[in-house]
Amino acid sequence: MAKGICVFSISLLLLTCIRTAAQDTVTVPLNFRAGFDIAGPVLQALNRDLVSYGAVASVDLNENFAAVGGVRYSSFSASEYSYDFKSRGLTFVVGADKNFIKPKMMAGKHYAGIGMRYGLTFYGQEAPRLEYTNPWGTGASSLPLSRHTGHFLELTPGVRTELFPGVTIGWNLYIRLLLGAGTGDHLKPIYLPGFGDGSSGVATGAAYYVSISIPYKKIRVFIKPKAVPDEEEGDDVTVPSTNTVRSGTRSGL
Amino acid sequence: MKSGFRITVLILLTLLSPACSEQACYDDTDPLVNVILLESGTGAAKKSVSLKITGLSGASPVELVTATSVTKFSVPLNPAEETSVIVIVLNGVADTATVSYSNFLHLVSPECGYTLYNVINSLNTTHNIIDSLIIENKNITVDGERNMRLFY
Repeated sequence: MAKGICVFSISLLLLTCIRTAAQDTVTVPLNFRAGFDIAGPVLQALNRDLVSYGAVASVDLNENFAAVGGVRYSSFSASEYSYDFKSRGLTFVVGADKNFIKPKMMAGKHYAGIGMRYGLTFYGQEAPRLEYTNPWGTGASSLPLSRHTGHFLELTPGVRTELFPGVTIGWNLYIRLLLGAGTGDHLKPIYLPGFGDGSSGVATGAAYYVSISIPYKKIRVFIKPKAVPDEEEGDDVTVPSTNTVRSGTRSGL
Repeated sequence: MKSGFRITVLILLTLLSPACSEQACYDDTDPLVNVILLESGTGAAKKSVSLKITGLSGASPVELVTATSVTKFSVPLNPAEETSVIVIVLNGVADTATVSYSNFLHLVSPECGYTLYNVINSLNTTHNIIDSLIIENKNITVDGERNMRLFY
């Protein structure tokens, strides 16, 4: 009796293992990436008033999500008919990216998804010349250098692909929502470093990143096999052939 | 593939275009003192027959308003000073109002730059035709809110 139970248990275990092995799996490398924004220097060529250098690093947490952190230095100056303005600051962002490409297709190389970031910017602003004119005449004033901390949220859809092994390129659109400029309502910065137009609550733009990519781990991702129509139910029954990721296990490199 | 590339280029050019072009100022940058004309006793709106408002500044008088048959008017304050002396000639009778205020900067937009908002501290007037001039809202901004009631 005990022998029978033992044989049955082992058989069941083997069958389970065979069943598991029969599932479709793909091996997805998880990468660490570090890169810089080449849109900043390009924009500087178009608009010499703005200097913006950004670097970003990300690490894949699994086949869908990556943690992202970045730093950006921005310097802006403008001289208009009624004012001179300067601002300069350092911005830090942290957040996550969600990749919508299926693991089988992305293979750790491609990305099309959306990211969410929180940004904190430490900046200074000054306006050595401010003029306002009406029928009475011109009133002149100035803003001495003052330091502030602003923060914002950023939604950033984008794409990225592997240019050649170890190097990726990609561009992101961004929509930034200003949470606070740290200056009160009246003296928001004309340019908030790391954000954009400080007088507007929303800023949009694009960043173009070139990154190096270093794989640090591989994971095996189970792919739900395509459902096969049940022959007993007849040929006219159609079953959706989705290819959804169900679960994953990790294995070392 | 080609259409995807074209869409991408179009989006990038759209996003980059503000960086290449000078933007015009379309916002209202002039804070105005908005005054309503009311009839003494009843408090009903009362049209003027004629209205002329002049600002007295150091150099020469500044003509601010010339109108007929109005129930309200708007005047700016002197941005270079913190006191404005205004001569109000209403239906041919002159009164002088002296407004003291503080100025503070307000950013309108990058295109329009800054303006000077005012907070009225005190108001005095003569009483030839004006019965009373009352401050309703001491903050002078560009939002168009009523600031004073002039009874005559």
